[in-house]
Amino acid sequence: MKRRWDQLAIHAILIFILSLTLAPFVFVIDNSMRTNSELNHGFFGLPKFGKQMFSAYANAWEVLRPYTLNTIFVCVVTGIGVVLVGSVSAYVFSRCQFKGRELLLLAVLAFMMIPGVLTLVPSFLWVKKLGLLNSHWVLILPYMAGGQVFAIFLFKSFFDGLPSELFESARMDGAGHFTLYWNMVLPLSKSVIAVVGIVNILGTWNNFLWPFITNSDAKYHVISSGLYLMHQSNVASNFATMFAAYVLASIPLLVLFLYATKPFMQGVTSGAFKA
Amino acid sequence: MSVRRSNFASTTAIYAMLSPTFLLLAVFSLVPFVWAFVTSFFDYEVGGEFRFVGMDNYTEYLHDPTLLPSFGNLLFLTLFGLLVVSTVPLAIAKLIFCLKSERARYLYRVLFLIPIVVPGVAGMMIWQGMIYNDTGLLNETLRLFGREDLTRGWLSDPRTVLWAVVFMGFPFAGGINILIYYAGLAGISESIHEAAELDGARGLIKFLKVDVPLVLSQVKLLTILTVIGTVQGFEGMFILTKGGPGFKTMVPGLWMYMNAFSFQRMGYACAIGVILFLLILGLTVLNMKYFRSTEDLKAEGV
Repeated sequence: MKRRWDQLAIHAILIFILSLTLAPFVFVIDNSMRTNSELNHGFFGLPKFGKQMFSAYANAWEVLRPYTLNTIFVCVVTGIGVVLVGSVSAYVFSRCQFKGRELLLLAVLAFMMIPGVLTLVPSFLWVKKLGLLNSHWVLILPYMAGGQVFAIFLFKSFFDGLPSELFESARMDGAGHFTLYWNMVLPLSKSVIAVVGIVNILGTWNNFLWPFITNSDAKYHVISSGLYLMHQSNVASNFATMFAAYVLASIPLLVLFLYATKPFMQGVTSGAFKA
Repeated sequence: MSVRRSNFASTTAIYAMLSPTFLLLAVFSLVPFVWAFVTSFFDYEVGGEFRFVGMDNYTEYLHDPTLLPSFGNLLFLTLFGLLVVSTVPLAIAKLIFCLKSERARYLYRVLFLIPIVVPGVAGMMIWQGMIYNDTGLLNETLRLFGREDLTRGWLSDPRTVLWAVVFMGFPFAGGINILIYYAGLAGISESIHEAAELDGARGLIKFLKVDVPLVLSQVKLLTILTVIGTVQGFEGMFILTKGGPGFKTMVPGLWMYMNAFSFQRMGYACAIGVILFLLILGLTVLNMKYFRSTEDLKAEGV
């Protein structure tokens, strides 16, 4: 009987902390559906039922739509690039013997130790010199350079664990490296690809400073920089619209989260968030 | 001869397959890394000339008016971050782990992860606009209880601003840390728990004496990540306070950013970046060396 009460007490504590954690987001959703005059009359209150509940969303979406499309484009291209480049290099490191293998692997590892705060300013000066400012490439290429390092290590440890008989028998049948990689290794790696993909999408989606300083042209804003600029503009006085924008900016990742809870949870705990 | 040739060809192929990785690393990681050090010895603004100044940027930073307040704030933020990251998520992970129902354990882990879908920038602006705002949750709640006298601009009052910044994200439960601790707790074998119970260890004592030493690896990981993240991080201050009022919430990273992008002092900014890099490097080495993880404790036979 005592055990039962213990379990109930744990549920009560967890639910209490969980509601504190989620409360701000509930208030955001609530306030995004109230009109500004309702908001001015008081912070607490429920939206009046009706069509005006979604007018803030229409306003916010008008501003956010191009930013969302840009972010999705950058996420997809970066994700595909990181998976391809990372898995090819990991395959080579895992399955090929060659001179300098250890040294090159160590070199890749060393790049993980460079903190972003050191390279932020010189990276900006450098991409400016390269003429990449105000383009999608100024995001995609550096994201790929940084994202692949972690991908290589995740892919490599997975490839190392594949049984070597698999490779030997395929080699006996005359398969070359490309066939091995494309027809055997990649189809076996779906779960790792999902994790690498999600880790990259999360990183790209959340990155704020780099897109903010490199793309001043509104045409190339992404969600994060776009939200910040929206917050700085005269839209900010329209609270309901801002709240609706926060909700809209969270929906794509929420969909991804619901669709791929398992790889999502593996992804965030796989050590990807080591700076 | 033919064997050697085919070997040679495949070595070329191998380097060719690795070339995208190393090309990307060289152009977008190595060049900025070297440039950071080189630029720190120059006086440079975009469009202007590089003027060699030796160590001047570094010596100037030693006398910078933001130096003391910003490193003081950094120390406060780091200590607060360490305190939070080593307690709250661990306690929640343990509570979840104590649940009998497998489905409930899974559900809580999923629910506590949900805040991660909100973009970081949006999360901060939500706290600013909804909780700390003049008509936000804090002030409105105080007014509800008739304590108009206690209401304030939480992010503009110098007495509250730093606390307002660190309490952003309260109760610090959402996100990945719970999952990291949970994985550590799940790795503790059942026999250890049984042995501890036989020895009469119960409840909190058991948690502190049995669980905590066995998740020290996770604590160590999160400690390193928190320190590195805090020393580097200034997005929060940039969005919420711009370091103010005064230098009340200034941090070295933000001062670096302002020197580069507001004052056009690229060399000076790079020097601050180099100092932060050395600080991170030193702290990481210290942590690796002196923070004993579970494996180290086992090796020492404790």
